[in-house]
Amino acid sequence: MSHDLKTARNQGFISCHTCHLLCRKAGTDAIMICPRCGSRLHQRKPNSTKRTWALVLAAFIFYIPANVLPITTVTSLGIAQSDTIMSGVLYFIKTGMWPIALVIFVASIFVPLIKLLILGFLLITVQRKSSWRQKDRTRLYRITEVVGRWSMVDIFVVTILVALVKLGALASIQAQAGAIFFCAVVVITLFAAMSFDPRLIWDTKESLNE
Amino acid sequence: MSESKKDGSDLNDVPEAEVRSRKRRISIVWLVPLVAVLIGGWLVFKALSEKGPVITMTFKSAEGLEAGKTKIRYKDVELGQVSAIELSEDLSEVVVTAELVKQAENFLSVHTRFWVVRARVGVSGVSGLGTLFSGAYITLDPGVPGNKTHHFTGLEQPPLVTADLPGRHFVLTADSRGSLDIGSPVFYRKIQVGQVVAYHLADDGSNVIFKVFINAPYHEYVHNNTRFWRASGLDVKVDARGVRVDTESLVSILIGGIAFGIPQVQDPGPNAEPETAFVLFRNMDEAKERIYQIKTKSILYFNESVRGLTLGAPVEFWGIQMGQVIDVKLVFDNQKKMFRIRVVIEMEPERFYEAGFIGDDIDRKKLVESLLKRGFRAQLKTGNLLTGQQIIIFDFFPDAEPAPLVFEGDYPVYPTVPTPMEEISTKFMQILQKIDSLPMEQIGKDLRDTLHGAKQIAESPEILNAIRNLSATLEETRLMVSDLRTKVTPEINTVLDGARQSLANAEQILNADSPLQVKMNTALEEISGAARALRLLMDYLERHPESLLRGKGQEE
Repeated sequence: MSHDLKTARNQGFISCHTCHLLCRKAGTDAIMICPRCGSRLHQRKPNSTKRTWALVLAAFIFYIPANVLPITTVTSLGIAQSDTIMSGVLYFIKTGMWPIALVIFVASIFVPLIKLLILGFLLITVQRKSSWRQKDRTRLYRITEVVGRWSMVDIFVVTILVALVKLGALASIQAQAGAIFFCAVVVITLFAAMSFDPRLIWDTKESLNE
Repeated sequence: MSESKKDGSDLNDVPEAEVRSRKRRISIVWLVPLVAVLIGGWLVFKALSEKGPVITMTFKSAEGLEAGKTKIRYKDVELGQVSAIELSEDLSEVVVTAELVKQAENFLSVHTRFWVVRARVGVSGVSGLGTLFSGAYITLDPGVPGNKTHHFTGLEQPPLVTADLPGRHFVLTADSRGSLDIGSPVFYRKIQVGQVVAYHLADDGSNVIFKVFINAPYHEYVHNNTRFWRASGLDVKVDARGVRVDTESLVSILIGGIAFGIPQVQDPGPNAEPETAFVLFRNMDEAKERIYQIKTKSILYFNESVRGLTLGAPVEFWGIQMGQVIDVKLVFDNQKKMFRIRVVIEMEPERFYEAGFIGDDIDRKKLVESLLKRGFRAQLKTGNLLTGQQIIIFDFFPDAEPAPLVFEGDYPVYPTVPTPMEEISTKFMQILQKIDSLPMEQIGKDLRDTLHGAKQIAESPEILNAIRNLSATLEETRLMVSDLRTKVTPEINTVLDGARQSLANAEQILNADSPLQVKMNTALEEISGAARALRLLMDYLERHPESLLRGKGQEE
């Protein structure tokens, strides 16, 4: 981190998101258009914190039914058994399959929650223009983005099982409302992570420099 | 820092961004959390609005039940789920907590019954096989509406009759449970029309009360005068017409049952109301013959052994059973310092109906008093000589001492007369009577006269003389016999010896190989040869008569 850092922003430049053409910034209260490709130009992702906040909140709300409602119903020989994610984890723990329980717990409960918490944490720090361990926070963001998609594993497993296990009276699996909410949590979290502009983490530095 | 750029001098070449006016508006992204809130709110509302009553049920065992899994169903529609299973504080029961749907609130009442549906194999059938795969579940019978409650005592056995089953309940009282059980069939004309749904002891423990359910439309056949009897097992009768075996059904042989019908002589009466109480008779005969519902108790005191008098022993009057013995007790009478035996008998006054002895209580008392005046008494009697069983009979004993009718509490005490030493003594009496009727005096007098005559004869001198002569005659006879022995006997011996010798000789002569025989044979042969020669001579002479003159001459 150099102190007299020159950035496009403080030099009055703006880069096109689409064709990455570097443009000079025009008047402040105006919508800027890329002269080459016609895309809208933004200094930063527009309304990044607001959007991210909205999505994170939505994801938080959906996180509750995703974990409370059953995610699947297994009907085997007439015995219908509905399972939430947590009851599945507990079932595997009870039957001694710790590794599977751990995988499910991490992928389906821990990761979505930690993602939301990280995003919330980043948003708060960004809004407070904190300069605390910016590099580590950026790393956190990268981890969030990379790991986020793996939460979809659960949904894929459910969809595959529902499609495959159609044995009539012997056994069948139905997806339940929980799966939809869980899917919503994962997707909304992905969007939230996408809408967050990590450059905001460093903007405090620049404004300090200015 | 994706958009950092080098410090450059030709930045002036960078084109300028175009400008448009900015419209301020609320970001559309806020719709997402709004939708999330709406959905979440709707879920919460739905969960709250569908939340029904939470009930607790107690069971003896939680076999097959699982918290969070076991469902509560009615007519196979899910009404709720078991949420917790705990032991009661004294560990005697299992308390099952269940959350029901809101709809269930409407019919939960103190009459609602819950039970666990499991696979069951019983005498009356197999049920709940489906639960072998699906697991046990709890079901319920809403019952009739009543006070609301959320605490129930679960049934251990499924009830045989649920509220939606048309029919009628009736109550039967019996002296014992016998082989009847819950589920035992009830037959009408050998068709199963119902079953025993419950039984319990009467409050005072005096009898057993059965509750039976008669399915519609058969409950129409239960009238006020209908009689119920046990149809348990086989009814084997041996009488003059042969052996008859009667049974309601094979099932009733195994598990017992109840049958009902109407005695043919009786008017059926109106249809019986639900919960009407009936008496459960021991068997069909009893049910059809005994039409005595009224029983009066009386007390008898005996001052003698009642050995052989058992409970249930009949009380008879002129051979007709009027009742039975229901209690026999030894009582110490403090006033008389004496033991007495107190026998309580139960009489059925309805048995007298047809004789016209009916009347209200006062009349009856007077009637009994007049009967007592005429010697109406109770008495012990041997009913069976083989087993020595005693019965009680009533009869008229005109010679009996007069006795008043007294009451002990509500029960009349009938006077008794002692037993005249039973059967043997009566026989003895008969013999005595016969002896009594003999002309003993005459016989005695004749006998005396005869003896007197005999005595006179014996004492007469002729007899003495005759006796003396007799002794002389006897002496002579003795001598004669002695002579015979000494003289005649040796002679006889000699004669016999001679005779024996002669016989031996004769035997020798007659023997086949004796010389006499041989000689005789030879002589006879000679004679026959001579006879042959003579015949030849005669033949010759016949043909040649001239040979007498001329001699034989020459052969030609």
